[in-house]
Amino acid sequence: MKRNLLTVIIGALLILIFVLLLFVFQVRQSEVAVVTTFGKPVQNINQPGAYFKWPWPIQKVYKFDQRVQNFEDKFSQNYTRDNNNLIVTVYTGWKISDASAFYPKFLGSVPAAQSALENMLRNAKNAVIGHHDLSDFVNTDPKQLKFDEIEAEIQQAVQADLSTNNYGISLEFLGLKKIELPESVTQSVFVRMNADRQRLIDKEQYDGAKEATIIRADADRQAAETIANAQAAAIRIRGEAEAAAAPTLRVFEKNPDLYIFLLRIEAMKESMNQKTTLIFDDRTPPFDLFQHLPTNTVSQ
Amino acid sequence: MERNAQKNGSVNLVAAIVSFIAAFGVTIFVNSQAGQAASVFLGLAVLVAFTGWFQMRLEENERLEKLEMDELARNQGESALFAAKDSEVFPARRAREQFEKYFVPGFCILLLLLEAGGAWMLWRWIGKPNPGLNSVRAMPALSLYAIISLLLFLLGRFSVTISRLQDHRLLRPSSSFLLAGAFVCTFTALGIAGVEGKFLQADVWVARGLCVLLGLMAAEMLLTLLLEIYRPHLKGKISRPLYDSRVVGLLAQPESLFTTAAQALDYQFGFKVSETWFFQMLQTNLPVLLLAQLAVLILSTCVVFVDAGEQAVLEHFGKPVATLTAGAHLKLPWPVDQIYRYRTEQIQSLYVGYTPDTNDTGTVLWTVAHNQEQNFLVGSSEPSTLKSSNASDDGTSDSLRAPPVSLISVSIPIQFQITNIIDWVYQNSDSSNLLSELATRAVVHYLAGADMNTLLSSGRLVAASTLKDDIQTAANAKRLGAKIVFVGLQDIHPPTAGKVAENYEKVVGALQTHIASNLLAQADAIMTNAIADAVAFTTNSAAEALRVQLDTSAFANAALFTNQLPAFETAPLIYKQRAYFQAFPAATANARKYVMLVTNTQNVLIYELEDKIRDDLINLGVPNNSSP
Repeated sequence: MKRNLLTVIIGALLILIFVLLLFVFQVRQSEVAVVTTFGKPVQNINQPGAYFKWPWPIQKVYKFDQRVQNFEDKFSQNYTRDNNNLIVTVYTGWKISDASAFYPKFLGSVPAAQSALENMLRNAKNAVIGHHDLSDFVNTDPKQLKFDEIEAEIQQAVQADLSTNNYGISLEFLGLKKIELPESVTQSVFVRMNADRQRLIDKEQYDGAKEATIIRADADRQAAETIANAQAAAIRIRGEAEAAAAPTLRVFEKNPDLYIFLLRIEAMKESMNQKTTLIFDDRTPPFDLFQHLPTNTVSQ
Repeated sequence: MERNAQKNGSVNLVAAIVSFIAAFGVTIFVNSQAGQAASVFLGLAVLVAFTGWFQMRLEENERLEKLEMDELARNQGESALFAAKDSEVFPARRAREQFEKYFVPGFCILLLLLEAGGAWMLWRWIGKPNPGLNSVRAMPALSLYAIISLLLFLLGRFSVTISRLQDHRLLRPSSSFLLAGAFVCTFTALGIAGVEGKFLQADVWVARGLCVLLGLMAAEMLLTLLLEIYRPHLKGKISRPLYDSRVVGLLAQPESLFTTAAQALDYQFGFKVSETWFFQMLQTNLPVLLLAQLAVLILSTCVVFVDAGEQAVLEHFGKPVATLTAGAHLKLPWPVDQIYRYRTEQIQSLYVGYTPDTNDTGTVLWTVAHNQEQNFLVGSSEPSTLKSSNASDDGTSDSLRAPPVSLISVSIPIQFQITNIIDWVYQNSDSSNLLSELATRAVVHYLAGADMNTLLSSGRLVAASTLKDDIQTAANAKRLGAKIVFVGLQDIHPPTAGKVAENYEKVVGALQTHIASNLLAQADAIMTNAIADAVAFTTNSAAEALRVQLDTSAFANAALFTNQLPAFETAPLIYKQRAYFQAFPAATANARKYVMLVTNTQNVLIYELEDKIRDDLINLGVPNNSSP
């Protein structure tokens, strides 16, 4: 009897749990729920708490995340007003604003909603980017950069589509996440950047050569100037010395022949050295002494 | 009574078929992996129930045949007709014997293959990627499993009780399967409930458990078949059906475990352990103990311990009512109150522009690709904007402008902390991902308006500071509840691709070459000027020396000449000759001298007086420096 009672208690507990699960459901702060009766939405729940419902198949509860959900569209190539290609991706934050409208349109599927949103995003993105120049996206002048305006324009376009068709979702924010150039253009930018670097390389190299040449030429000029100045000074000194010695020349005027003779002797002394080869005949003093010596002279 | 057994067998068969179809349908409906395993189990129940029902029919035919033959024997007495072989006289018995001899072992082998194959295939299938439980349909599926479980439990329990009666042994396999099927469906429902209760792996765990059960059943069947070969077959002894699984029986009737355990303990200890008060108490109060354990389990959900560095959000029927900090806290039991933990004090990181490569421990160079970096568009102040000759300023398609952009690789680690857990949890579905998006957008925005050369040099610190402010502002605007702790431009350089970074290095090399050539020229200039100074000084010194020489020697020579003049005038010829002969030896002392005595005038004498000049002297270069 006791065992039967326990079995009944266990069975009753199980049934109680199942009944609670069938008749009660919870909605979290982060959720929004739609209750349908025989498939027809009858209640939209936005507040957290525990709620009663009739069991399946009379009533069904569909819960959705009512927080802002992030979504990033695919990279897509776009054409700017000034004929440049840009690859742009945007991110968005969207949320379910009206669950009773959201559920029938997407059958409660978030991926289906994001797919529809992506189509609208791509359409709006292409349209807005086509109205702007590349310089609106990338510019070192902050006044010409129109990042915020472009984002606002895309968001307005998408929001307009969403509101018109009452998708039950709202776009909370939107931002340009990445801007890139197509691969071929990227390679061209690389080539341009390399050319710019080559310009700097050449500038440095030839500026260096130029400066070195200038420095050397200036040094040569300075050296020549220095030496020329020195030579001029030397000449001047020599002249001054000659002038100073000039009064002594009157002494030599007393017998110029003797003085010239003495100068010739001095010149002979100065001009002889080891490399000098002298060839004398027997008439040159003092070798004329050999004229009186017996020789092998054959009489004519 | 015998008729009732066959009727109960039919009911079991129908119940097994219906529950199998229903469970399989619900499994497809909700995409439950545990449901797949439960369906396999119920499919096996169908086969067992059918075999049991068929064998009951054969035994029933045999029993009727025996009654009929006994009646004939009583009416006609012994005759030649009944002297024939048993196989000819009792076809129903023979059919039953043939069935037990050939079909049942064959069926058991089939059962073994199905159990083993089912366990193996399900185990592999569970390991593969799966879209998971359909949460929208979870609640109806859970209810259906509960209904199937309840029906199987009631029917199985009744059937198991009936099967204990004499001659109802063939009812036991299907009854055990039905009762075990009820528990299997309950486990499956609990798995689905677990997933709904955010224990996302509960369904998988239950599915794995059921795979193990199928594996055990296969192992038991294999052992039973092996033992059957060596089991003595005594004619007339009623044996347990081969397909009556003890594992299934144990699962269906766990209380039988006590009987088995008691027998084992009694044998092991040599006295009646099963008669001790503890064993009796355990046997009697097991359901109470299980309920108490369940109560403890539920009560344990009333206490929460939040670790250091964590915060937890307490939800009461889904509504956040408090934020719990580190320590012990009390709450109402699950599912009334639930908590969600987050590591709020932990410094968390995200990366913009690169994916960290933890395996790369080498030196980070511009010219070597590292960390899977991405390129960003960056503004350029270079005068690269051109217009074609036919370009117009109206922005129409005729205009053609080169994009004033460059590309740059940046690696920006961003560190943040959660400061407001409520905002972090309830404002965005994936706050961490949103912060990453906002940070990337801020970086792209900043770079698009920055000058590359400035960014590479003096603008780094300003960029990091501005980016930190921008990201924080964006996070605050989106109510993320996060604080940006650090933004670093740890690696920023021209793209490695296209050898752009390499050419940036070459510019630095060219600058160094420039400086080097400048310094070498300066060195040459110093040398040239020094030599010139030296030459100038030498020239000057020589001139000064000459001046002194002229000053001093001129007067000396004049004085000498004045004194020589009287001597000359005294003997002019002698004085001259003396002076000549005094000077001649001294002057010609080092010169080579040839004296020709020209008495032999008819001969022509040729002297080779030329010196042999060395080759190195011939090749000697002429110095450039002009002598003064």
